[in-house]
Amino acid sequence: MILRTAVRELRAHPGRTAFAIAGVAVASAMLLDMLMLAGGLQSSFRGLLSGAGFELRVSPAGTLPLDTDATLLDAIALADDIRNEPGVAAVSPVLALNIRLEGTSTPTADAGDPIVFALGVDPDAQGLYRIVDGRDLEAPSEVLVDERSTSGVGDTLRLTSVRTFGSAAAASAELIVVGTAEFLYSSASDVPVALDIEALRELASRPAEASFFMLDAEPGTDPDDLAQRLRARIPTVEIVSIREIVRRAEQRLSYFQQLAFILGSVSLVVTALLVGTIMAVSINDRYGIIAALRAIGVSRRSIVVTLLVETLALVTVAGGIGLVLGSLTARYLERILSDFPGLPAAIRFFVLEPRQLWLAIAALVAVGVAAALIPAYRASTLPIATTLHREEP
Amino acid sequence: MIAPVAQALDVERTYRMQGVPIHALRGVTLDVGAGEFLALVGPSGSGKSTLLHLLGGVDKPDVGRVMAGGTDLSSLNDQKLTRHRLEHVGLVFQRFHLLPMLTATENVEIPLAEIGLRRAERRQRSRELLERVGLGDRMKHRPGELSGGQRQRVAIARALANRPSLLLADEPTGELDRETSKGILELFESLAGSGTAIVVATHDLKLAAAAGRQLKMVDGRLNGLELS
Repeated sequence: MILRTAVRELRAHPGRTAFAIAGVAVASAMLLDMLMLAGGLQSSFRGLLSGAGFELRVSPAGTLPLDTDATLLDAIALADDIRNEPGVAAVSPVLALNIRLEGTSTPTADAGDPIVFALGVDPDAQGLYRIVDGRDLEAPSEVLVDERSTSGVGDTLRLTSVRTFGSAAAASAELIVVGTAEFLYSSASDVPVALDIEALRELASRPAEASFFMLDAEPGTDPDDLAQRLRARIPTVEIVSIREIVRRAEQRLSYFQQLAFILGSVSLVVTALLVGTIMAVSINDRYGIIAALRAIGVSRRSIVVTLLVETLALVTVAGGIGLVLGSLTARYLERILSDFPGLPAAIRFFVLEPRQLWLAIAALVAVGVAAALIPAYRASTLPIATTLHREEP
Repeated sequence: MIAPVAQALDVERTYRMQGVPIHALRGVTLDVGAGEFLALVGPSGSGKSTLLHLLGGVDKPDVGRVMAGGTDLSSLNDQKLTRHRLEHVGLVFQRFHLLPMLTATENVEIPLAEIGLRRAERRQRSRELLERVGLGDRMKHRPGELSGGQRQRVAIARALANRPSLLLADEPTGELDRETSKGILELFESLAGSGTAIVVATHDLKLAAAAGRQLKMVDGRLNGLELS
């Protein structure tokens, strides 16, 4: 009876109800987007780094992996040294360089600029790509291309080193494409290739270099403890755990959270003002009928519950529309932000997690109902006789 | 001797309008017996509505007591007074005060739902009441689809929903034409005949003349003048 009365009251004033629903829907869409933004970037960054299974990174002192072109010069000896540390399960060296690509087909988006990012890896222990088609690298004469590349399995590609100031003369090698892969850290505009690290070292005349190492800790070993021990023993390089990288990233990205918090709060305030105003106006119009209901024996509690159910129905419908609207807006904004230069394509700014969805719903309902509480309570405590005197001719 | 259904004992009630005291009732004493049909007549502002509100427990006197079934209504808190109105008093207003978005049946169901009856029982009783007030063919109509007289009948059916011992009607024919008023009058006579005490505040002398007892109110006092 209460729900029926509440819903019919809303339907009896379609203009006012539509206005309120539209306002609350827009505010709740903004709230959802802000909640998705507040944790989305960090959560997708965390997922990206930890998804490959390597829990530590080793890079040249003062840098993070791929921050700069600096390399670990004596990487082979360093890797052997780290492998001897108790708790280290695997060391995966990576050499990342720009390289010129030529062949029957070119895997670059821009055919006029065939410089691509080449990753030299140890195929037995790598966390940079997942095979999509074909197979993984087994020999130095093989290469993997990005799944978006125009080259495919069986093609032959010519890789030529890019000469830099003071480097040796450019060298070339012909490699056979044995698979296509999803490169986890590549940006939307990158179309990288992967080959055996020894082959890349030889091609680039960098016999013992690596850009960084990915380290796997043994089960039961705390990655932070392991990083601390390694740092104490090898202070000449940067050794950080994924957890630490995520912590640093979170500090850098905290302004996203602050922005999201402020705009999310604004949307809740707007919701409260809108619901409070609409309900106050609607209830004021009904003082006469409410006084009459009280006079015939309807309790204060029933009056308050009916009005709150009315608010709840309004907020539920508006919130539902707002959540759909928020998801669509987030998708649109995500598409714009994913074109940000150098950002891994797997990074997401807006991530919808069940916790955030429930938080948005709970915040919306709580704020909406709280905003209606004062006018509802006032209506239930109206002086009945005085109100009836005023309403009756 | 049977205790009166409602009793006002030397009651006084003063309102303040913009700081000015308005003496709505001055020392009114009145007994209403079971099955009695009583009409209160008098000019606007004479205190008729205020007396109805006090008898029904809608308002409390500043001085004096209002008794119902041996209970002093002034001693009840809001919750108990609301329950008293729900179970023992039926109220009919000049402007009906029906919920416009509910059907006739659903409007009559409101006090039945409040008292805790199940839906099927509510539905059955509200249909019986609407049949009784002659609206068997208008049950699914909303107030906006009914005439003034039909709306007032729905309001009377709602007032009778919990089988009250006292029915209070404030200008029940004030917005109705003569023919429709006659129908409402016949309904009241029939209800009084079945044991319900009825007190009507009215300007309608025809309605007042049909009552078993008529009392005139002037300036907040009952002068006891018999009209008939």
